Amino acid sequence: VLTSALIRQDLVPMLAGYLIIMTTLGLGLLRLRRPGSRGREARGRPDRPDGDSGSRRGWLLLARHAITTAAGGYLLLMAVVIAYYYGVARVGGAFLKSAFTGTALLIGLALPLFAGASWLAERRREKRETPAADPRPRRR
Amino acid sequence: VAEHPLAGYLVWAVLFGALFAWEGLALAKAGSLPTLSDTFRVIMRYPVGRWALFALWLWAGWHFFIRGWHFLLRA
Repeated sequence: VLTSALIRQDLVPMLAGYLIIMTTLGLGLLRLRRPGSRGREARGRPDRPDGDSGSRRGWLLLARHAITTAAGGYLLLMAVVIAYYYGVARVGGAFLKSAFTGTALLIGLALPLFAGASWLAERRREKRETPAADPRPRRR
Repeated sequence: VAEHPLAGYLVWAVLFGALFAWEGLALAKAGSLPTLSDTFRVIMRYPVGRWALFALWLWAGWHFFIRGWHFLLRA
């Protein structure tokens, strides 16, 4: 049996979240169906590091992109969590502290991993595209 | 739901099954149905969309790794 507290604390936020996600996905699909939308996919993305001159600028753009996305997402989630805590349910167990520190910890772990993985992927791409010149003399 | 965890697992299994079924159909019928990648690519074109997706990812990670995934089955 669903209690009123369960409905207020869980069902309503879940339904609201579901509706927001479905609306966002629906709007995304509508935009996707518009003619010519696929050609604009790369807009707004950071440039891939390209050559020595563009490499530094590309990495700076990627870093800015990742940091603004992480900061924006973190602030958005904190706004939702605070609104939930003060507007819906005063959840126990140091809820707000856990939200602020736990998600910050996840970002602190994920961003360096993402940077390392991006660097490795780019290195592999560069190696694949430029044939390695072997300075050692060949044995016959 | 906690008293009947099987029902909770079933609901999540159905939701994820529907998600995978959609993706499978979209990949099989290339062009007629948008894949999840297509949809997310459109959403991620805009800063607010990227923030919302990142917030969702953070929320999931916070519950799975810090608060405990049983939150998803609690009553």
